[in-house]
Amino acid sequence: MSQGVMQSDVGNHGLVLDPRTKLLLLITMAVFVLGGTGTAALWFLTPSLCILPLVLLLSAKKFISAVLYLTVYLATYSVFHFVGPKTTGVPNFLLLGTAGIITRFMPSVMMGIYVVSTTTVSEFTAAMQRMRVSERLVIPMSVMFRFFPTVADEFSSINAAMRMRGVSFAGKNAGKMLEYRLVPLLTCSSKIGEELSAAALTRGLGGDIRRTNVCEIGFRVLDYAMILVCIVPFIMLILRWFEVSVF
Amino acid sequence: MKNEKLKGKDLINVGIYTAIYAVITFAIAMLGYIPIFMPLLCVIGPIIAGIPFMLFLTKVKKFGMILIMSILMGILMLLTGMGYYSLIIGIVSGLLAELVYKSGKYKSSSKAVWTSGVFSIWIWGNYIPLFTNIEGYFSTRQDYGQEYIDALTRLMPTWMCPTLLAAAIISGIIGGLVGKAILKKHFIKAGIA
Amino acid sequence: MIEMKNLDFRYANSNTGALNNFSLTVDEGEIVLLCGESGCGKTTVTRLINGLIPHFYEGELNGRVTVGGVDAVKAELYETARIVGSVFQNPRSQFFCVDTTSEIAFACENMGLPEDTIKMRIREAARDMEAESLLGRSIFKLSGGEKQKIACASVAAAHPEVFVLDEPTSNLDMEAIESLRRTILLWKSLGKTVVIAEHRLHWLRDVCDRVIYMSGGGIGIDLPMSKFAAMPPEKLQKLGLRPLSLDKLKNETPPAISGDTLELRNFCFSYDGKKQALDIKSLVLPRNGIIAVIGSNGAGKSTFSKCLCGLEKKFGGKVLIDGTACGRRALLKKSYMVMQDVNHQLFCESVEDEVRLGMSEDNEKDVQGILNQLDLLPYVDRHPVSLSGGQKQRVAIASALLADKEILVFDEPTSGLDYRHMKETAALFKSLLGKRTLFVITHDPELILSCCTHALHMENGGIREFYPLDDNGGRRLIDYFINNDKEEKNIEKTV
Repeated sequence: MSQGVMQSDVGNHGLVLDPRTKLLLLITMAVFVLGGTGTAALWFLTPSLCILPLVLLLSAKKFISAVLYLTVYLATYSVFHFVGPKTTGVPNFLLLGTAGIITRFMPSVMMGIYVVSTTTVSEFTAAMQRMRVSERLVIPMSVMFRFFPTVADEFSSINAAMRMRGVSFAGKNAGKMLEYRLVPLLTCSSKIGEELSAAALTRGLGGDIRRTNVCEIGFRVLDYAMILVCIVPFIMLILRWFEVSVF
Repeated sequence: MKNEKLKGKDLINVGIYTAIYAVITFAIAMLGYIPIFMPLLCVIGPIIAGIPFMLFLTKVKKFGMILIMSILMGILMLLTGMGYYSLIIGIVSGLLAELVYKSGKYKSSSKAVWTSGVFSIWIWGNYIPLFTNIEGYFSTRQDYGQEYIDALTRLMPTWMCPTLLAAAIISGIIGGLVGKAILKKHFIKAGIA
Repeated sequence: MIEMKNLDFRYANSNTGALNNFSLTVDEGEIVLLCGESGCGKTTVTRLINGLIPHFYEGELNGRVTVGGVDAVKAELYETARIVGSVFQNPRSQFFCVDTTSEIAFACENMGLPEDTIKMRIREAARDMEAESLLGRSIFKLSGGEKQKIACASVAAAHPEVFVLDEPTSNLDMEAIESLRRTILLWKSLGKTVVIAEHRLHWLRDVCDRVIYMSGGGIGIDLPMSKFAAMPPEKLQKLGLRPLSLDKLKNETPPAISGDTLELRNFCFSYDGKKQALDIKSLVLPRNGIIAVIGSNGAGKSTFSKCLCGLEKKFGGKVLIDGTACGRRALLKKSYMVMQDVNHQLFCESVEDEVRLGMSEDNEKDVQGILNQLDLLPYVDRHPVSLSGGQKQRVAIASALLADKEILVFDEPTSGLDYRHMKETAALFKSLLGKRTLFVITHDPELILSCCTHALHMENGGIREFYPLDDNGGRRLIDYFINNDKEEKNIEKTV
């Protein structure tokens, strides 16, 4: 997965949403689905929010993820309904426990998959800059995203080297296997890192001027619609705090 | 030495080591797709990720680098749908880790091991949703609500919450020790630490 | 434009590359070539011009460097960066963004230029570098040459007065070198000042105005290119320099080798199930030869070598050795690739442990002999990563020999090597002649002519030609490398 984070090819975005809208979507999911806040009173909230990632994944043509999500979620849900009550003891507790964790985490994680697979690093850094996030956070973050594929590349080269030496998984000592992977990985990464730093610095990174960003992002109609979808549950939550019944 | 501002080189170093740290964490997290292994992540994760973390600490000479790394891990968790909990926890624990390492003047290797322990607290943030509002989640379906709650509380009993926290810290310290050994064995000899 | 006066410099953690009382003045619009053996200090000079010394690489520095009126020693890096643009050796590690457009914009963004200006400059730089078709793509999917084009575009978009290039062609094929040559000619026509530190000289003959040969941290020779080019090739060799033109290269006729053969069968592979990345039905190769694998980027050379080493899981081809067919698993045991970045294959804490890792126990008695043969005995206790590039390469070869590997594949073994080190590698290969089958994937004609017995020319996943490197073959090979240039030049003329 690390390889795919924010590396989406320009052009495949599905519904075009501003990265800031996507962040809001993630937070909404985290509060209401993952955190389970207020779901007792707003019974319809969780199911409706769970549909959101499905729609978004479909819009981005991530059919495999969408189908996977739908199947696993429905399967877990039906296990809950139909198998759950019929079992007892350890199987029951494993089943319900597992199902509970899946139904909680999966919608939010799926939203995460949608976000990281449809946003480019430049869009995301542009969004961070618009939100006035400090350069001291934005610069390391861009480097991090740029470095993910490099780490994956290095890792596969090291794996190939290990296989040619006959020291891959066949080895008995797990600690050694880990050492053989991590040591060259860190050696190579720190070397590439040094070269990357030198190149970036000679291109003027770290100056005292506010950086511009040419990446075009901005709110459109769809963003406002999504923001509305996200805000509604929060308003309802606040209203409930004030003991005002919506119904 | 003056309390210098972070420069481009430092910021890039943070990015690189965070990337390595994150890739390792994600690779281990794949185990977590089998939900009952989830608690194990906060043991294995910090131990293995301790190795790049210790190498990272050798590059840390100014205030803020550890904190930024912690925040970046939090942002990554938010982006991948794990919620904002580890972001909030990470800001606090990252700051604490920063202070621990600073107290060793950014070079004490025993302080570095402690730093690794404190830093690892961020991973604990990922478990918080399991302990919040269990009752609320499915209480509208009272028919199996109770069974579910029982099941979840048995899998994730409330005492697990502080236990996981302790596990994260201890694993972080073990990871720090492992990392320290590898530093000595390889990276110092190789001239990159 | 550039003025360096009485410079003394020593790196904090290394003895090589130091400068001793170095002075140099470069006028505006001059194109200067810095050459010399590895460690002569030419990279150090480039780093002083762009300010990386003393701001990034630490060491002991005395003296003054002024670039375009700015004191590069005192000024912050980002101030110097507005005047000096730098291109580096490794195309993989010098980009900051993940897509090409942002990368070209990067330097301008750092200068805080207005958005519209930056957009205009992206278009202009992409046009000048013939990189328009590369805009908006993921950098990770580009070839080395394309990455280098983007690096040049990124630097050029910032409109610096001075360009500094540090061994920019080390990882490039002939076509990409030609494209870089055109870029520098363009900068020349715009009146920019360019300083190039380089080992491969043949592409710079009609580009540079002035040649500075460095040795021991000082200037050995400072001549206009016309005079420098008039020096006999033997003199260049004595200075440890690579030749200035390829057509004078001499083929060292290789010794005849025994008649045993190695047969490749059904070497076909595709990554996505559609397009064939490798398509060789059958090929008979001399066993125990040193076979140069040449061809442009994307010709299938690396797929070929991965399949040959048994690294592609879905690969179904076979190699017939001594009449026995070796499938993928057997190949994984019999072949070994020495990677371009040897660091990937160094796992242990000492050279001694390293060469023993994966060794069959019967070879214990040979360890000392092989270490001795490869000049590694003095280093047995060193950490392999701390060795020099050539020594690392030899450690990898030692471990391959001890693991009974019969087929050795070398991926770009001489990229970034000076004449002497290239010759050393060639001598090393020759010492293995007749004992193992060697495949050398390379863009380096000088290396091929110094040690290879055959050339395997690949294009589009297939074999274009396969020929022994006798007198005729040597001619053919030189023609291939020169004509690659000429085709490009013709295109240029018609534009």
